[in-house]
Amino acid sequence: MITPTAYREALSRIDAPGKFAAARQSALEKFLQAGLPDSHLEDWRYISLEHLERMPLHAPADPPLALPALEDYPGAVLAYLDDRLVWRDTTLPATMLGTLADAIGGAAATSTPVAFGSLAGNASLTQLNAALWREGACLRVPAGERLRQPVFLRFAAAEADAMLYPRVFVHMAVGSDAILVEHFVGDPDIEYWQNPVTEIVLEAGARLTHLRIIEDSKLATHTGLTAVHQASDSSYRALNLTLGGQVARHELNLVLGESGAEARLDGVFIAAGRSRTEQHLRITHQAPRGNSRTLYRGLADARGRGVFDGRVEVRPHADASDAQQSSRNLLLSPHAEIDAKPQLEIYADDVRCSHAATVGSLDEDALFYLSSRGIDADTARRLLLEAFIDEALGLLDDTGLRDWLMPRLRASLPRGQAMEPLS
Amino acid sequence: MLQIRNLHVAIGGKPILNGIDLTIHPGEVHAIMGPNGSGKSTLAQVLAGRDGYDISAGSVHYLDKDLLPLTPEQRARAGIFLAFQYPLEIPGVANVQLLRTALNGQRRARGEAEMDAIDFLEYVKDKLVLLGMDDSFLYRSVNEGFSGGEKKRNEILQMAVLEPRLAILDETDSGLDIDALQVVAHGVNSLRGPERAIVLVTHYQRLLNYIVPDQVHVLAGGRIVRSGGRELAEELDSKGYAWLDDKAEFIEASP
Repeated sequence: MITPTAYREALSRIDAPGKFAAARQSALEKFLQAGLPDSHLEDWRYISLEHLERMPLHAPADPPLALPALEDYPGAVLAYLDDRLVWRDTTLPATMLGTLADAIGGAAATSTPVAFGSLAGNASLTQLNAALWREGACLRVPAGERLRQPVFLRFAAAEADAMLYPRVFVHMAVGSDAILVEHFVGDPDIEYWQNPVTEIVLEAGARLTHLRIIEDSKLATHTGLTAVHQASDSSYRALNLTLGGQVARHELNLVLGESGAEARLDGVFIAAGRSRTEQHLRITHQAPRGNSRTLYRGLADARGRGVFDGRVEVRPHADASDAQQSSRNLLLSPHAEIDAKPQLEIYADDVRCSHAATVGSLDEDALFYLSSRGIDADTARRLLLEAFIDEALGLLDDTGLRDWLMPRLRASLPRGQAMEPLS
Repeated sequence: MLQIRNLHVAIGGKPILNGIDLTIHPGEVHAIMGPNGSGKSTLAQVLAGRDGYDISAGSVHYLDKDLLPLTPEQRARAGIFLAFQYPLEIPGVANVQLLRTALNGQRRARGEAEMDAIDFLEYVKDKLVLLGMDDSFLYRSVNEGFSGGEKKRNEILQMAVLEPRLAILDETDSGLDIDALQVVAHGVNSLRGPERAIVLVTHYQRLLNYIVPDQVHVLAGGRIVRSGGRELAEELDSKGYAWLDDKAEFIEASP
């Protein structure tokens, strides 16, 4: 049973303009009524958030307790610590990149983004985010404009038992082009909960490449939602990396709303230790000639558990749609588990759809082949694992971010045969 | 260099090798011939350190040290190389990555400096020429989409790069047309030297027209039933393996 006090307390600390206060209040009541999602919901069958009810969760102290040691980001940066913007390094004007609070209510507000709040849906965790997000981030790329540098949004956690609600709104106007990186991190030794929501609108012909990296602490809970709406001939290319978190769940709801839209969804998830990671993709082809391609690679080591749940729905009249899904997964220990669940629902004609899902283990013959060349077992394993996930990392070359990302990805790869005790 | 004494090997309780004795000196080329299921490939795999085999009796000494406790990578670092009968495809690992990682692993183990990417390319260039391979082979995934002949050439390229002291070539001739066979044989011959021993495991004597062995051994039923010079291979070629039946008790194992 949820005790509403912490949530109400968090809301009372948010200094929202009047017209939003009512909306926040209403969202909170809806969340409190529904409660945290539990295993009665199909999408929450494998993962439990019960531990959140036992944690002394609270809104983070204000202002933040400590400033982060910032790493180098090769591009424009907004860095948040415990939901507060603490660092801004960009030459982009505030009308293009700034806090969401400013964009929709503050002095820099030009016009409230029309679609804000309309894509995210009304699941209880989304309501909670709508009630309790603080500064948020807003990226608006004007028509025809192409951002030369990637935009990095860093959401860091530093306070134990904090509940954090990053909120991002991205509006890509007609024919615009950008690279967005969302990076979720946290102090390694603390428990906390990040419950972010990102909404992305792509107008006709707009192009967005979106890297989303969950690198939260090994004790953290991450329940994230990305909602994308694509107009005609737009392109959304995403790479979703789940490298951290004790419980890490990402839901991606993507609508190819007008004809000729193209989506490419790549992902890598790694479930090590006793962590649980889930990827839920909801891809809806609403209009003709849409193209979606999903390519996920999963690794589970020790007693880690992963879920890939990809659902593609091709609605009536979305004729000549093309949807391909591939989910390949490796189990690196006898106690690891991955469930891969691709689904296709087709209600249109002349559609090309396919899906493939595999769960296997590292090829012993390949390991022997490499070790017979004098390559030690750990290196051989690493070579094979890197090769396995590399199939999903093509966007790193397209964005020029391979050098930035690979060291952290390598550091996350399971090492050796060390297994957790059975207890 | 290599002393095998009374080696008995079984797989899952089924005996495959039933007392192999074999001595190989530096500089020698030995051919091990025999019908399918005679245990040739098992012998090659056991020497390279593949697990899954029960070594129930006997010993193998390499450079006067007990070989059997060593892991495959320790054996490779000590200079043993196995060219696979069926080279594995490893999608996503570039040939150059495998070659350089392997070479540097071995150099590190020997206390030598690692080779950087530029020096390595210089080093590998001549070896590519030797095997009639162009640079593009370096950047393709290991054996992925290679023809049978390309795979076998790639094995010999690895051998040329790693410069082993004892090279075991398991059916390197199988599946090669005559042109590819000549290229591979030329590569192997150029690697012959006074410090290096080569073991050719083969079903047919065809390969031995191009790589002339010092000694030929016939393996049947898990034992060496005949040893001799090159003429033994020719005898086998004209008579087949059947004439051995009355000399050796066959234990046919399924391949």
